[in-house]
Amino acid sequence: MSTLLAMAEKLEQTGIGTAIAEGRYAFPVIEGIHLIGLSMAVGLILLIDLRLLGAFLPDVSVKALHRQLQPYVFAGFAIVILAGVLLFVCEASVVIVSPPWPFKMFFLVLGGANALYFEFITSRRPEALPDHGPLPGNVRYAGFASFALWVLVIVCGRLIPYIPHWA
Amino acid sequence: MSFGDVLASIQSSSLSHAIAESNHMLVAGLQIVHVFGFIFLLAPLILIALRVLGLVLRDQPLESLVNQSKKLSLAGLVLSLASGVLMFLSAPMHYYANWAFDTKMLLLVAALAIYGLLFLWVAPRGSAHPSMAKLNVSLSLILWIAVCMAGRAIGFV
Repeated sequence: MSTLLAMAEKLEQTGIGTAIAEGRYAFPVIEGIHLIGLSMAVGLILLIDLRLLGAFLPDVSVKALHRQLQPYVFAGFAIVILAGVLLFVCEASVVIVSPPWPFKMFFLVLGGANALYFEFITSRRPEALPDHGPLPGNVRYAGFASFALWVLVIVCGRLIPYIPHWA
Repeated sequence: MSFGDVLASIQSSSLSHAIAESNHMLVAGLQIVHVFGFIFLLAPLILIALRVLGLVLRDQPLESLVNQSKKLSLAGLVLSLASGVLMFLSAPMHYYANWAFDTKMLLLVAALAIYGLLFLWVAPRGSAHPSMAKLNVSLSLILWIAVCMAGRAIGFV
């Protein structure tokens, strides 16, 4: 842990880390961009999840929604991850000791794995995404898992400043 | 009674004290609800904007897409407004004196008016006046992003 902390402190002292920390508005601006990227990437994923669950745009083809939104989901992720890395670089030693942070990373990995599994396995099965009628159970389950995991990522992320240390 | 007196009396109310003095996890909970409200408000707008720009769901009529997004956008709005009002009530004098907060409120009124127009007036006429729809979604996106940026600045000024 102490080596991790030393590495984190070194990261903060890099040019990028100190530049963000010293600029008066750099930090909130990057936080704002993190939130906008999040609304695009995770926001659109949550819309697709709600469609898989049958709660949103029931008349729109799941296949079209899923395929056409993909580039914008990726664009959103590029923004949210870039901003997130910058925030991490300038506050690494504070963030890594915050209990919600490892949970956020854990749910992030699970959310990513769930999305990849859906992309390459579940959605490629024949009849996985019919244009009309109810979706197969495993597709709805994937939508539910995705929704829950991304909600947990956001909850844990927002808790970082509120739970700075383990008890 | 001046506006300052109104804020002072809100600040001395029992509801205000209850929020301010409660466990700080209540405030964290309100912040989380506030973020989800914003996401559920912005995500449908991003989808509608992509449709208006002809980038996705081109075979889906704009009016139907907007109508089907109404409930989710409204739910997002209610969540963020309710959590925002509760946070404001916990320290109205503090927020009111903060220029980022004042800016956010002005931008919020503009965003609500422009985005509201999309649902009430622009969407039913969108196919006849595509440039009006493009102007509305562009302005809506810019205003909501500005609301978000001003909101993030509140804690830093």
